[in-house]
Amino acid sequence: MRPIDEESQRTLAVIDQTLAGEAVAPQDADLAELTLILAGQRPQPSAAFAASLDDRVSQRFAAAPARPSGQRARRARRSWLYAPGAAFAAAATAAAVVIVVSGGTPPRQLSTDLSATAAQSAPAIDNGAATASSSSATSTTAAAAAPTRAPSPAPATAAAGSASSSAAGSVSGSATGSASSSAAGLSPLVLDSGQANRKVIRSAQISLATRPSQVDSVAQQVFTVVGNENGVVNSSNVTATNDATGYAQFQLSVPSANLGATMAALSRLHGAAVVSRTDNSQDVTGRTGGAGQRLADARALRTALLRELAIATTTTAIDSLKVQIRDANASIASDLATLRALQRQVATSQISLTINASMIAGHHPANAGGSAFTLRRAAHDAGRVLVVVAGVALIALAVLVPLGLIAAIGAWFGFAVRRRRREQALDLI
Amino acid sequence: MDCAAVRSEGVIDSQTLPGRSQAPSGWDRFEALYRSSRDDVFAYVTTLLGDRAAAEDVTALAFERAYRRRRTFDRRRGEERAWLFGIARNAALDELRRRRRTAALVTDHEDPGAEPTAVEDGAEVALRRTTVMQALRGLPAREREVVALKFHAGLTNTELAGILGISESAAGTLLYRTMEKLRKACDASDR
Repeated sequence: MRPIDEESQRTLAVIDQTLAGEAVAPQDADLAELTLILAGQRPQPSAAFAASLDDRVSQRFAAAPARPSGQRARRARRSWLYAPGAAFAAAATAAAVVIVVSGGTPPRQLSTDLSATAAQSAPAIDNGAATASSSSATSTTAAAAAPTRAPSPAPATAAAGSASSSAAGSVSGSATGSASSSAAGLSPLVLDSGQANRKVIRSAQISLATRPSQVDSVAQQVFTVVGNENGVVNSSNVTATNDATGYAQFQLSVPSANLGATMAALSRLHGAAVVSRTDNSQDVTGRTGGAGQRLADARALRTALLRELAIATTTTAIDSLKVQIRDANASIASDLATLRALQRQVATSQISLTINASMIAGHHPANAGGSAFTLRRAAHDAGRVLVVVAGVALIALAVLVPLGLIAAIGAWFGFAVRRRRREQALDLI
Repeated sequence: MDCAAVRSEGVIDSQTLPGRSQAPSGWDRFEALYRSSRDDVFAYVTTLLGDRAAAEDVTALAFERAYRRRRTFDRRRGEERAWLFGIARNAALDELRRRRRTAALVTDHEDPGAEPTAVEDGAEVALRRTTVMQALRGLPAREREVVALKFHAGLTNTELAGILGISESAAGTLLYRTMEKLRKACDASDR
């Protein structure tokens, strides 16, 4: 601050003394007179205006137009509180959209519901097929499907290939289920009984993930599930280790009527999470019908030939008929084999199952299939929630900070322009 | 400077109740500010606009705005009177912008509310006053505003500096130069 000179200070002091009614030195009489003349020209409000304004003030400007009142006024006063909140909510929404679109966390929540929806779409396509043969496949990939609980307790025994913390073993075997199952009703893949006349070959692939130490346990559950669904383990290969190289592969056959229930049960194995799932179907109604028709024709031909053979009198005719009957029998055998093969494929569905031991980042398969609410699981979930919240907050900040800077610059610019215009208005006087 | 002699007087004190020993509420502080500043704000705005009717509207608007914004007042940024006169100044300048017309800084008509004083007695004093007012009209608008804030609104140099957005020494220098210009203009007119 630049100090003012002595003469200026003395002049200002004389002005202040004069306005305060104090005496001044004789040499400052002119300045005092000027001061009094200027102060004497001070405009005074009229009594009517003063009374009117006093009244408005005493009523706290109650009659002022467009006055926000009561709760609305309080809300208006707090608008500065709501604005950042609304901005943060908008930014958080944008962040959530970004996460979803970019394939972040939400798709990992894909679980039985989505799987069921995808699976149910396959029969619908099959049933509607009008061509003799059609096929469709539905694939579902889930990084962390999390069935809430297993439909049945996990088997407590391990028949083979049990892995210790330091040993690794390889087990191959097969098992044939004999227990009856009443779980078909749980299946999301139940065939439409109204379309039972359609002949459809179904198959499925499912890939599971589990902890390295639980590969064997999950494999044993597969055997149990297949047995419960009257299925057959055509082949299996289980390699249980204590690291991520643990692996199991199964080729399963189950009655087609139990395919849905089997897939549902496999998706809910304790300690495993569904990584991917694919359902295939092929309509062979036309092929089956064609084979059946050929079989019927061949049988009719053989019947006719047998009748002709019964009335044949010449050796030549008899020999010729025998040759034709032999050909008809061969045709019947061939058609019968084809028809039975198709019927077998329709009646039995093939399932290809793989189990991989892995620790998916941020996901513990053991937690996905677990049914117990433990402190560890709660801590994991809480940490996960905090990570997601922090991520959303970070993204929101990334959106809000530039917007805030732009808004601040805009406000500053607007304020400067407004102030300049006001000052210009003063120059117009 | 003691501006008590020129500050607002005769304003109602309807909200002052006996027995109040607590710290003044927002409303009490506003009412006290209103009581001490009503006439000063009116005088300043009238001088700035040169129109009593418009000055009454702007004065009422300024107090209403101050009442609405009383919670935004930050004492760290200045005194309440400077804050109030800043609001009044902006309202007056907005009015000037709206009207888009030039206004005499000082009213030409005799102020009906002004009390007759002893110095008005006598032709020589009247002549002297006319000379001063003519010299005042010859000043640039910003210097006339300084006169209005100092002599009509009764503000201290500190308050004046706060309203104009300049330092206190700059405000003092501006006021000194304005007074020197007035004295020279009056002396030239006397010759």
